[in-house]
Amino acid sequence: MSVWLENTAIGIWTRESPSIWAYPTVLTLHTIGLGVLVGANAIIDLRLLGFAPRLPLPSLAPLYRFMWVGFAINAITGALLFAANATTKSTQPVFYVKLALIAGALVITGAIRRAVASDRSSSQQPARPAVLSARRLAIVSLALWTGAIAAGRLMAYL
Amino acid sequence: MHGFAAWLASTAPSRIIVGSRWIWPVCEIVHFIGLTLVVGIAGFFDVRLMGFMKRVPVAAARDLMPFAIAGFLMNFATGATFFVGKPDQYIDNLAWWAKVFCLVLAGANAMFFETTVGARAITVGAGEDTPPAAKIVGAVSLASWLGVLYFGRMLPYIGGAF
Repeated sequence: MSVWLENTAIGIWTRESPSIWAYPTVLTLHTIGLGVLVGANAIIDLRLLGFAPRLPLPSLAPLYRFMWVGFAINAITGALLFAANATTKSTQPVFYVKLALIAGALVITGAIRRAVASDRSSSQQPARPAVLSARRLAIVSLALWTGAIAAGRLMAYL
Repeated sequence: MHGFAAWLASTAPSRIIVGSRWIWPVCEIVHFIGLTLVVGIAGFFDVRLMGFMKRVPVAAARDLMPFAIAGFLMNFATGATFFVGKPDQYIDNLAWWAKVFCLVLAGANAMFFETTVGARAITVGAGEDTPPAAKIVGAVSLASWLGVLYFGRMLPYIGGAF
């Protein structure tokens, strides 16, 4: 399966093309997507932890669009990077750790979105500290995304 | 320049950085977390300055800026570690100089904002549009930080110094 994937036209192109638009650009887009996806998450998490209390939570709703764009970029570029070196990556435990951390982080992101949407009071009282359960979710979110970044980076070393 | 790079590479800190199995990977992890804070938090402020996400008061978007500064300091420290470890990898690298240029541009742009249009822009409340000058400053900031990221990620691929 991974051998087949590596020998598809797109796998070969990503890995072997000398073009700057192949591997280097795919890798750079993966980093930009990471910044957008995790950065947008971090804004909401930090706000839920009580930082920037003047920031009205409902006004942050457009950040979910940024998250989707970042996630889409990284799902596509991630698939390309995997196809390029599928045999190596599929045998790296840290790769599966990364995928599990991302899956967990996405579930938490969804839970936070629902928690924020049901917490109407935050729009009237922006200075009020966010509800306790949302704070806990925010800490878990930050931990999972940080872990996913660490695991992704360690793929180059382990 | 090359004399300096050769001297730096011969120092004890440089040898420790390159000799360690874990210093480089750990610094890379921190560098990517810092990158996320800069792109996410400073980028959010830039996006608001550009006139998007109008329901966010500009002053409130700015309240998160200490986290972007923390991210920048993390990246300055870890970036300096990379440079001390392998100065030859950067000193001759066109991508590295382009990255430094983008950093200087981002810094100069932020300084321009603070000393000129910043005071007016910060009073822009929820639902209000930002002045044209603030939009330009926001766009230049976002572009220069993305430039820093782009040339940073391209370090091994442009210039062939790795």
